[in-house]
Amino acid sequence: MKIAVCIKQVQSRDSQPRLDDAKTWVRDQDAAFEMNEPDAYALEEALRLKEKHGGEVVVCSAGPARVAQVLREALARGADRALHVQSDTIASADAFVVAAALGGAMKSENFDLILTGLQSDDQGFGQTGVVLAERLGLPHATIIMDVQVSPGPPGGVLRVKRELEAGWFQWVGMPLPAVLTIQSGINQLRYATLKGIMAAKKKEIRVAAPEAVAASKQRIVALYAPEKSKKTQLIAGSPAEAAKELVRKLREEARVI
Amino acid sequence: MQTLAFWVLFVAFVGAFAAQVATRVRLIAAAPGAFALDDLGGRVQRFLIDVVFQVRTIRERPVVGLAHAFVFWGFVAFAGYTTVEFLRGLGLVDLTETRWFFAYRIILVPFASAVLAGILFLLVRRAIFRPATLGKTLSIESIVIALFIATLMATFLLAFNLEEASLAGRMNWWAHMLVILAFLALIPASKHLHLVLSPVTVFLKSPELGRIPNLDFEKEEIGLETVKDLPKKAALDAFTCVECGRCQVNCPAFGAGKELNPKTIILQTQEALLAGERDRKLGDLYSEKVLWQCTTCGACENQCPVGIEHTPIIIGARRGLVSNGEAPEYLGSMYNNLERRRNIWGLGYDQRQKFVTSAALETFDPSRHDVLIWLGCAGAFEADYQKSMRSLFDILRARNVRFGVLSKEQCTGDPAKRTGNEYMFQELATSNIDDLKAAGPKKIVTSCPHCVKTIGEDYRRFGYEVEIVHSSVFVAGLMRDVRPASAPAGAHETVTFHDPCYLGRYAGTVDEPRELLTKFVGGSVDFKEPVRNRENPFCCGAGGGLLFADKEEEPGSRISDVRFRQLQDTGAGTVVTACPFCSIMLKGAQTSAPANNVQFVDLMTFVNNRRRDVTIE
Amino acid sequence: MILVVAEHRGGKLNRATWEAIAAAQQLAAGQAVAIAVVGSNVGSIAADVAAAQVQEVVTLDNAALEPYTPDGFTAALQQAIDQLKPAVVILPHTYQTRDFAPKLAARLDRALVTDVTAIKATGGSAIFVRPMFQGKLSADVSPQGPAPHIVTVQIGSFRADAAAKGASPAPVRALAVTIDSAAIRQKPEPPFQEARQAVDLSQAERIVSVGRGIKEADKLPVAQGLAAALHAELAASRPICDAGWLPMERQVGSSGQTVAPKLYLALGISGAIQHLVGMKGSQTIVAINKDPDAPIFEVADYGIVGDLFEIVPAMIEALKA
Repeated sequence: MKIAVCIKQVQSRDSQPRLDDAKTWVRDQDAAFEMNEPDAYALEEALRLKEKHGGEVVVCSAGPARVAQVLREALARGADRALHVQSDTIASADAFVVAAALGGAMKSENFDLILTGLQSDDQGFGQTGVVLAERLGLPHATIIMDVQVSPGPPGGVLRVKRELEAGWFQWVGMPLPAVLTIQSGINQLRYATLKGIMAAKKKEIRVAAPEAVAASKQRIVALYAPEKSKKTQLIAGSPAEAAKELVRKLREEARVI
Repeated sequence: MQTLAFWVLFVAFVGAFAAQVATRVRLIAAAPGAFALDDLGGRVQRFLIDVVFQVRTIRERPVVGLAHAFVFWGFVAFAGYTTVEFLRGLGLVDLTETRWFFAYRIILVPFASAVLAGILFLLVRRAIFRPATLGKTLSIESIVIALFIATLMATFLLAFNLEEASLAGRMNWWAHMLVILAFLALIPASKHLHLVLSPVTVFLKSPELGRIPNLDFEKEEIGLETVKDLPKKAALDAFTCVECGRCQVNCPAFGAGKELNPKTIILQTQEALLAGERDRKLGDLYSEKVLWQCTTCGACENQCPVGIEHTPIIIGARRGLVSNGEAPEYLGSMYNNLERRRNIWGLGYDQRQKFVTSAALETFDPSRHDVLIWLGCAGAFEADYQKSMRSLFDILRARNVRFGVLSKEQCTGDPAKRTGNEYMFQELATSNIDDLKAAGPKKIVTSCPHCVKTIGEDYRRFGYEVEIVHSSVFVAGLMRDVRPASAPAGAHETVTFHDPCYLGRYAGTVDEPRELLTKFVGGSVDFKEPVRNRENPFCCGAGGGLLFADKEEEPGSRISDVRFRQLQDTGAGTVVTACPFCSIMLKGAQTSAPANNVQFVDLMTFVNNRRRDVTIE
Repeated sequence: MILVVAEHRGGKLNRATWEAIAAAQQLAAGQAVAIAVVGSNVGSIAADVAAAQVQEVVTLDNAALEPYTPDGFTAALQQAIDQLKPAVVILPHTYQTRDFAPKLAARLDRALVTDVTAIKATGGSAIFVRPMFQGKLSADVSPQGPAPHIVTVQIGSFRADAAAKGASPAPVRALAVTIDSAAIRQKPEPPFQEARQAVDLSQAERIVSVGRGIKEADKLPVAQGLAAALHAELAASRPICDAGWLPMERQVGSSGQTVAPKLYLALGISGAIQHLVGMKGSQTIVAINKDPDAPIFEVADYGIVGDLFEIVPAMIEALKA
């Protein structure tokens, strides 16, 4: 099976993002970067499928030169080779632009299966995988918990488990080739072993310029910190009053009940 | 005729001895790596102390150790005698009639008596009292050797009462010589090889406890995977083991009923080497499960009288497993946390920043600050331990010490290193060293003994040397010229101190905490020592990655539960600790134990509370 | 005209549809709003939403549209949008719309802004506010390109009860759509709920967790009552499971389960770090503890310092209201 995993390099989850001068994106300098966490789960799923069915796993990413870091990390975890669509402006671009850039480079490879994380930790639009499927003319399914592959015409058959709201799930059948966006936390991520890291140095990263260029569909007009800050709210008063106030806040402010 | 017979026997037995020794020496020589010879002065000193004066042997088990010391000193004293008799037997030269030999024999009499007394005591202990530490099965070979030694001394003493030329005299002489030859032939295949090897092993033992060299990734080193990867010192160790069981008896995992037994590890190594099982996986030989039960407390290595280093073998084997992705699950999440968040908890860096801000900590500036405070994973993120850090800051400020913290601090890499993830360790270490070099501190103070070991010793291998001290040492120094003016008021309490392994055993820091504990309390505190204290504490169970491994399915009890009971048995209502991880583990044990009122207080909090209670001149 | 796409399953309307209607009405500010219902035999759903104050309800009723598939829904909505020509299409941000909305947008080659929490209408074109960077920042996003723009609104951001109802039901009409069922590549099986043999805290949306503060095993019903009132799972810190008051599967922490529910309520838990690392990913953390210095308050979003045996029953009462 020829599996592609689209991964995105994002700023480290724990660091506080700092706004750039235009206040429409975040500052790159002094920021720490890492692989988008949902994509890491997609990669893990791809590696498990390869272990089960054989084939190769190709990781693809679009972005500036620093993206090579996450590609190497993916290679160290077990991916076979990497595809880097290099562009300095794509880091803050929307899904249509990214899907066009990736799709253009990936088309000729004729992948059997393309996996992405369900959304990115920075923008979190959750569109790239699905737009990519549409552009490549492939069927897709999102927020997948489990992937089963079996032989069948034309190139194999998929049976995937979709997550639905409130503890509901659904199995869906699809022909290959297809695109899946993978839910976070569905498996235990392997960490790159020392042997993997050493082997990764010898694996191929093909660099390509974006062939297809799509027009931007979204513009971030302003980026700012939301009014609510992450401070502990201590609720005072008698037990009865405090309890009532807490319930109210959980209902109206936090909206968790 | 006699001489010819003697020659034949001599060649046969000595040949047997040499051949067997040669096998083992070849196995050692075939092992990879080289012996380290740094700190020659220290090595010589340790040789004198441990081998010549048998200090380590006597200290742990005084009576048995002394008995053994007699036997050893007797052996050394007899060397000249044995040589002379062999020269006579081989017909080369006869010095037995000389005046000095006569005097020498007289001097040897008390030695022989001491040896005889010692060996008979040890024989009776082994054969009749059967201590558990010597194993369940009676070692016939040890009995035989003991009887040999007794016979040698008996025949020596008997010779004074026998006419040399008489039949009895000659039979006595032959008995003596034959026993020596038989002894020689038996030595190499038994634990008595330590007679030959242990002085060498002790000399070659690393000057630092728990020395784990860096892996060289350029050379594609990944750790120890199979028997043939075991380095020279490990092979030497395997053949030096005297099976005394001191390591086993002091091991906290073994003491908690787990399968890990450091003595077994060494003996398994010996077996595998002799059987030529070069390609056998270490994870299979030692059993993987056992390898992950080690807290790296160092008790085994520290107690060994013959210089064996258990820790490099265990951690080396862990490296081999981790490099192949075979670490246990709980370590996988810890490694992910280290990689993504650079701390073992996986907490966001803004948590550290929150603490830095709320404690009003300044960013370290060498031109303004005397010392750098290294917060460590617990100091930066663990809300409970941060109370102790605040106490430390109080004390420092009260004594006008100007201090700051790094703006960016990552885990020192100790948990990665001790669990065998050398790659993660080197990443963290090199990154920290860059930040430390840029900050340029002359002195670092930290409350975590693991950080002291890692930054103070392990970072040196990257060429970074800095003075780093544990807060107890620094604060004790600050307080040395302080005299409390009056005795404190307050209830009488019983207090005990739990020495952290990495502070008491690794760093040898045992006096400063006690100095601080007794300084401001006058008579209001009854200070009790627990069993296993000072340089030989019983581990809390957090080290070696076991902080996260606390699962019920493990055999035996939790190490922390065992230690908690030991602390409880002192009758103390307050236990003072000086390590964040000891604090976490033991507090956890306290909440899980049946209802009790034991309080845990960190040393800095203890000192800070009392120093404020008392007026200082 | 603003078009709202209703969501339903198993013959029941998803309440989030009303939130989308509220959002559409706010955005429309007087302009027309219409609702589309996609599926097969959706007559009763259409009748339900017709209660809203909207211009009309259109049904895209076709046997090939039941069950839901992204291929089917995209084809149907593409035709509907072609005919109705809305300026904006609004959908609730659900698992289902996340599955087909991007495909629809890509098919039409039009902008899609997802997970919107607020709408700022400035002058002619609207700005949509949405979270970014895991909620650390908010972004004002302006969709580019020609209409229609597609927008999904975050559940709970707009109040369902703010949707205006019409004086009389809006007219319902069927929109003819042709679906080539052979072209639908997904073959869905019926949805199911996971059979829960063992407790799986990692899937729970709400958790009530107890610690040493509960004092005795026979005081557990206090916590259980709160869990029931919140439809939450019960969990515990290590000492409770060590003592056998609750089974090991309910332990949260570094040597138990790691959980990340929407709501984590810690009762009488001090917040030792080994427990914290097991629940720090929770979206909203509430702590109730007698000790104001308990480390749990460092990570809690809401906290009450007090006696849980007084506070919890009061909470159960408040939840009934």
